[in-house]
Amino acid sequence: MDRSSVVKTITGALSDIMQREYSDVTEETRLFEDLHLDSTSVLTLLMALEDQTGIEVDPESLQMENFQTIGTLADYIEGNLDVSV
Amino acid sequence: MTTDYLRGIKKALTGSEDTPLVLVCNFEAEALWAKGHVGLPAVPFSGSTRLVRRMEELGVLLAGPDDFLVLSEALDPGFRRYAEELGFALPTVLVPENVDPSRSTAEDALDSPVLLEALRSTAGVLLPMGTTVLEQKLAEATGLPLAVPGAEVFERVNSKIYGRRVAVSAGLRPVPGFECETVAEFLAVLDEVEPLVEQGERVVVKDAYGVSGKGLVVLDGKVKASGLRKLVTRRAARSGDDRLHVVVERWLPKRFDLNYQFTVGRDGAVVFDFVKQALTADGVHKGHLVPAELEPRHHDELRHAASVIGERLHADGFSGVAGVDAILGLDGVLHPLLEINARLNMSTYQGGVTERLLPDGSACLAKHYTLRLAARTPFDAVRAALGPLLDDRDGERVVITCAGTVNANAADDAPFEGRLYAVLVAPDRARLAGLDAATETALTTLESR
Repeated sequence: MDRSSVVKTITGALSDIMQREYSDVTEETRLFEDLHLDSTSVLTLLMALEDQTGIEVDPESLQMENFQTIGTLADYIEGNLDVSV
Repeated sequence: MTTDYLRGIKKALTGSEDTPLVLVCNFEAEALWAKGHVGLPAVPFSGSTRLVRRMEELGVLLAGPDDFLVLSEALDPGFRRYAEELGFALPTVLVPENVDPSRSTAEDALDSPVLLEALRSTAGVLLPMGTTVLEQKLAEATGLPLAVPGAEVFERVNSKIYGRRVAVSAGLRPVPGFECETVAEFLAVLDEVEPLVEQGERVVVKDAYGVSGKGLVVLDGKVKASGLRKLVTRRAARSGDDRLHVVVERWLPKRFDLNYQFTVGRDGAVVFDFVKQALTADGVHKGHLVPAELEPRHHDELRHAASVIGERLHADGFSGVAGVDAILGLDGVLHPLLEINARLNMSTYQGGVTERLLPDGSACLAKHYTLRLAARTPFDAVRAALGPLLDDRDGERVVITCAGTVNANAADDAPFEGRLYAVLVAPDRARLAGLDAATETALTTLESR
């Protein structure tokens, strides 16, 4: 899975969860401040990403830094994809 | 002047309607009660902690001039002026000398000897939103008695598991569902509900201790049901801890949600305070509407439920203000106990405002507006943006109830999220909707582009 696919997967999952089209988001878009994710939607997002990428995430081990932006979340997923390979 | 509403609370909880109160509005209480219980897997951070803490300023318009309010920041002078011009006589605001943004106000207070000394000399009675170990320590450190029971009682009666069990045992038409205390129980319940979810039913899983928007997952598809099963199973395997404190309930088709409040006196007397229509989205609280569109039989049923729940709470050691969430189904059938919030509620803090500024027969909407701000925004700028909407114009006005949340996240990178809490008053719902839209539009002038 390359970087653009990871970002596309995240954006698609976010659209499903927040029930909005995100045509103008970038890797710099902030998840909490700009897209208004909350604790509930974060958990739902993780479940969707586990389902679509095959990674396994331990929510309790995540850091706020992983969830700053779409880009930092993509970094986290790419790091975990590497581990599973 | 102290409102009749607050005098009633003082009388029920302290025996005298003139007792000076020391208010600590610890809106983060649920998070402390949750410690020691295992909820749904969750990320260890939240975007709203500081906002929730700064909701403490809602206490300003509840407390009277003989009372004291502990806040982590001094009141914005513009908001003080505004509230006084509305006719409110404000409490004495006490600010801890040692404030750390990562701590709660009670923690700040416990670390502030000057403030502790000032509290000792108030000779007041401590009224937290709900008692946690921190407010209990504050009572001990200051020698002030608590107006309500200790943390252990609050923790016990605020569990959603407790609420469901009261509904079942008292025959208060519980929403179809389950209480779970172990992973094994939860997985067995998932086995039962997963086929329903796959057929399109919605099922909600809620932490025993979760405030709105947290610790709640709506199962509305196979991915979420199987995803949650995996997360819970993996965590239990990793930690070796088989506990899981959640309730699982069918998501009933509804006309609307309700919230009603009553006060349980120290002597066990239960006084019904009010009922409001609650605005929610996916289980997240968005505001209240008054009057609720209920029939007389619904009012009777709610009063009966309040009396039964209040009696049960008192038997279990509780006295104080309690709010209960209820639901009116699409079929017109009331489910009078979804969950008990045995603590001061949002509506409690608005009690003084509605008594003073809500004319009989008017409609009222309590809500917050989310702002995206480029820089710290003084209250006078908010006041200027809303302009004439804040004035009484033919029975229609906006009343700001909490300004402290506007700049709660000002230390974050811009634009940051702020909240403005308000009560809107109008002669009818149509004009209320117009006023809400006008407020929304007026506030956009404050926002960063």
